[in-house]
Amino acid sequence: MSQIQVIPRISLTWLLVAQVLVILPHLSHLPLWVIGLWLGCAAWRVQIFRMRANYPSTLLKLGLMIATGCGVFLSRGSLIGLDAGVVLLVGAFILKLLEMRTRRDALVLIFLGFFVVVTAYLFDDSITAALYSVLPVTALLAGLIGLQQSSLASRPWDTAKLAAGLMLQALPIMLLLFVFFPRIGPLWSLPMPGGNAVTGLSDSMTPGDIADLSRSGALAFRASFDGEVPPRTELYWRALTLDRFDGRRWSQSSALNYSPSPDWQKAGDPVSYSIVMQPSSQPWLFALDVAETSLPQTRQLSDFRLQRSKPVERSLLYQVTSWPQALREPHGSSTGLRRALQLPANVDPRSRQWARELRQQYPQDEQLVNALLKHFNQQPFVYTLRPPQMSRDSVDDFLFDSRRGFCAHYAGAMTFVLRAAGIPSRVVAGYQGGEYNPNGNYVQVRQFDAHAWVEYWQPDRGWVSVDPTFQVAPERIESGLEQALAGEESFMEGSPFSPLRFRKLAWLNQIRLAWDNLNYSWQRWVLGYQGAQQLELLQRWFGRVEARELIISLVGGGALFLAFIALWLFKPWIRNGAPEQRLFSQFERLLRRHGIYRKAGEVPGHFARRAAIALPRQAPEIIQFYRSFEAQYYAGESIDPKLLRSQLRQLRRALPLRLSRLDRQQ
Amino acid sequence: MIAAVQARWNRWLTRRLPASSRVRLTQRRIFIVPSKVGVMFLLALTLMLLAAINYQNSLAYALTFLLGSVFIVAILHTYRNLSGLVLRAAGANTVFVGEHVRYQVTLESLNHAHQAISLGFADEPPLIVDVPPQASTPAELSLLTTQRGWLKAPRMRVESGFPLGLLKAWSWVDLDQQALVYPQPIAADLPPVMASVGDEDEQGLRVSADGADDFQGLRSYQAGDSRKRLHWKAYSRGMGLLVKDFASLGGSQTCLDIAALSGDQEYRLSVLCYWVLQYTERHQPFSLRLDDKQIAADTGDVHCQACLRALALTGLSQ
Repeated sequence: MSQIQVIPRISLTWLLVAQVLVILPHLSHLPLWVIGLWLGCAAWRVQIFRMRANYPSTLLKLGLMIATGCGVFLSRGSLIGLDAGVVLLVGAFILKLLEMRTRRDALVLIFLGFFVVVTAYLFDDSITAALYSVLPVTALLAGLIGLQQSSLASRPWDTAKLAAGLMLQALPIMLLLFVFFPRIGPLWSLPMPGGNAVTGLSDSMTPGDIADLSRSGALAFRASFDGEVPPRTELYWRALTLDRFDGRRWSQSSALNYSPSPDWQKAGDPVSYSIVMQPSSQPWLFALDVAETSLPQTRQLSDFRLQRSKPVERSLLYQVTSWPQALREPHGSSTGLRRALQLPANVDPRSRQWARELRQQYPQDEQLVNALLKHFNQQPFVYTLRPPQMSRDSVDDFLFDSRRGFCAHYAGAMTFVLRAAGIPSRVVAGYQGGEYNPNGNYVQVRQFDAHAWVEYWQPDRGWVSVDPTFQVAPERIESGLEQALAGEESFMEGSPFSPLRFRKLAWLNQIRLAWDNLNYSWQRWVLGYQGAQQLELLQRWFGRVEARELIISLVGGGALFLAFIALWLFKPWIRNGAPEQRLFSQFERLLRRHGIYRKAGEVPGHFARRAAIALPRQAPEIIQFYRSFEAQYYAGESIDPKLLRSQLRQLRRALPLRLSRLDRQQ
Repeated sequence: MIAAVQARWNRWLTRRLPASSRVRLTQRRIFIVPSKVGVMFLLALTLMLLAAINYQNSLAYALTFLLGSVFIVAILHTYRNLSGLVLRAAGANTVFVGEHVRYQVTLESLNHAHQAISLGFADEPPLIVDVPPQASTPAELSLLTTQRGWLKAPRMRVESGFPLGLLKAWSWVDLDQQALVYPQPIAADLPPVMASVGDEDEQGLRVSADGADDFQGLRSYQAGDSRKRLHWKAYSRGMGLLVKDFASLGGSQTCLDIAALSGDQEYRLSVLCYWVLQYTERHQPFSLRLDDKQIAADTGDVHCQACLRALALTGLSQ
């Protein structure tokens, strides 16, 4: 039995390859020592393979297992949870290869390998990661096939080709299952890969934070509009509001999370769109004002933002309808308005003084706001990503001394002055604009589109948005950050080779937009293909969705594909005679051309003898062929179609060439 | 109870898979079910599906479905690996009791290759062979012999899990093979040379020397039989390959007579067997007398074979 248990060479080769391919995508989030362990174990295994080393002893194996467990605990702080679980899984995968001796071990290794591939998807589910994972899966399947092959098989590529062929044939049925298999919500909640620093807005803001974001070209979200895309200047994507100021930093007050949803009145035409947002590790969603969504576990907070119950840890698709002209809280809420007037004591005296002067000059709120905007517009303010250092009175420094700043400076300073003048106001943080992708008719918004603007409250009019940045640098709003900073070269300073920097090269830009469009479709149709999306697609195809139809489509389609594969594999249209019988009928046909017919029920031997008598000149060849045929077909000699074929060829050469049958001439 | 089920199963197998010296595995003959590994694989897929559902991860769904579909497609491939394979009986050697008889089987491919075919009798470790496309591979299955006479080969199990080992396809094949088993030679003192007994025996001896044997009947052809003895007329009538069976007559100076020995029948046959081998080695003519058969005196391998054959078969109903 030992012969059966040993792992064939081909299988071992492919398992070694598979291990490399399976672990590669995990390298970025594995602790360094695991990589060391892996290299050590792989080298050891190769030495065992070359008969230069022995298998590890039981004691050593136990030691390695415990050491791995301890290592995971030390580097991840626990043995449970997704991060630790993945490291443990990879560790088990590495150690299993080392101790792998029997076919059973190899099977365990292969199954572990599939699981490790699945965990890789939790960290990276991009289109490239998906395509890449075809490689480790093929290698694992090749290892599985290798286990079945006898030790005589010696060509690893054939095994891999077979594995790839199997996967290719399985593809149609896989697609059917993917489309029709009902998607249900999570059965129980599981830890998500988290803790990775994600660039994006946070719930507090110093002016420098948004300047930092502006250096990142990372994608924040993409939005597809049902109708026409609104003009760029109207694309103010709200994320959250910041209504607490401590003299340096704007942040959100904690009370906000518990307040009831605000009252607002729909007005004007709604805008419908869907958004696919990247994981942000924050609970808020992005939308135009004032937004409604059907996404479960999501509600509208009192500052009109949309917020999920849990942070967004993987890409998320949601449908939104917005009413840009809606009236927001025309009656106000006393606590909300009180919060919108809060100011820290004893900072920025000059700004407070200026606010008082403005108040005296403009008793009407709107006049005051307009005067403030005009001030930003007409005074020599500069829009720059490189503002000078501010002292303790940052608003004073900005308004009266440096006059150089970024959107966060303008929004912060304006809110400060409005509050000092007694007008309830707050800073809104979010994104402004976005790049329109004509290939897919959607807008992509990146981190450098991060923006801050102001909204103030008026009795009966409710909250009104204003953007002081527009007064200073209208090109920021009209065409984007890159144009606004054209003279400064500070746009995306951190990433000199990002394709976003080369938008002026038309062909490169085309490729970039097409690639982005592909990624977007991938996100919407593959990664986002969960409950709602599935229902929508099936409804579009079938009109209505009923279990019976789905099952019929699934089973019927699967059977159809299987039938095609079976036809292709078995080729029933090819008649499978035994090779020697096929050759004998060729022999018959050849003699028929020379007028010798095999009678019904005539034994081959008799026929051959008759032929030899009728064609005495070719008798030796005829008899030679028949003898070999007889020996192979009757006497149990091993089949050698080559010999028969060559003897048939000799006979054909010995016979005069005759293409048509003789009987017509006779 | 178990014996009854076993008997029923065997009857059913005989009906469904009749014995033949050339068997082509077709859908009637091939069974296929998931193997133990296949069941484990499906369990692993279930776990992966759970992970996909809980993490709402489309790629995990996709991989689960891909592997599931590979499993389904593998049914066709595993079946195909066995389907169309031709097994042919290619004879068996003759042995003495206590030795392994080796049944020759030829595996032929009519079109595609058949990989990793395991071949074996129920209780013996299987043999694993590959059959290249449109070629044949010989295989040899051995079986320990415990009694003399014709030993019919049991059904052999032809099995393959190729390509993935997640399913196994198998068939029970009866190639209608049998091997002749001679008695086990047991050493004993050689008998005294007997005196010549008259003219009739002399004549019988001459007859034997001329090689004119007594026609006994026809039996089916087996590898190793002389071509000269093929019964062509019967073949041309479509009765299959038959061989004329002959029995020798005659007497000799040394007569090995079963009646002259005492003891258990099998023991006596074993002693006779030993003597036949001894005399043949010494090139001494001898005759053989059994309860139901006599073989005239002669020497040589053919004579030896005839004697051994008679010893193997005496007292057994054919």
